[in-house]
Amino acid sequence: MRIGEIIGRVTLSRSVPEIKGGRLLLTRPLPFAALAQGAPDRGEDLVLYDELGAGAGAIVAISEGREAANPFGKVKTPIDAYCACLFDSIDVDPDVTLEPPTSSRKGSRNR
Amino acid sequence: MGTATATMKHPTLTGERMLVVQLLTGSSTADGEPVIVFDRLGARRGDRVLVTNDGRALQELLGATTPGRWSVMGIPDLGSGEGEALP
Repeated sequence: MRIGEIIGRVTLSRSVPEIKGGRLLLTRPLPFAALAQGAPDRGEDLVLYDELGAGAGAIVAISEGREAANPFGKVKTPIDAYCACLFDSIDVDPDVTLEPPTSSRKGSRNR
Repeated sequence: MGTATATMKHPTLTGERMLVVQLLTGSSTADGEPVIVFDRLGARRGDRVLVTNDGRALQELLGATTPGRWSVMGIPDLGSGEGEALP
């Protein structure tokens, strides 16, 4: 589950019934530099299914892939990114030292 | 690299300890964005941990509807060095 910042919302005029229950938000994952040094850089944005009521600017956990469909149980739902947590605090070790990723990883790895 | 807390979360995650972990490549550079890892082994901050992305393992622990994926499966005893590189 990557950590993302909510930057907006997506509204649908029509959609499949399975996803009627929640809201669709736009989020950008936070890379190491953002979490460790508060850098402004963000990963590639993606649309997230949210039932927790995350507002703009909220920091959330992005469940992706197969795990994103787990909360829907047996109901087949076309969701591949699910908001699993609305974080109260992310407490990062201030002196964690790790050189930032050399190649820019455009969301190529499905976490 | 840190810990995270959330009161608003999926019910299966209640009471679980959440770590913020930066996955590493073989040459200790960052591999993708940091992820939330569920920990029941008591890893401390700054620890190198062995994690698994076997969602099924977490489903058995937390329930079939859990959105979580990564969990700590071991805390290697690295001793002095960073673990010898295999020849």
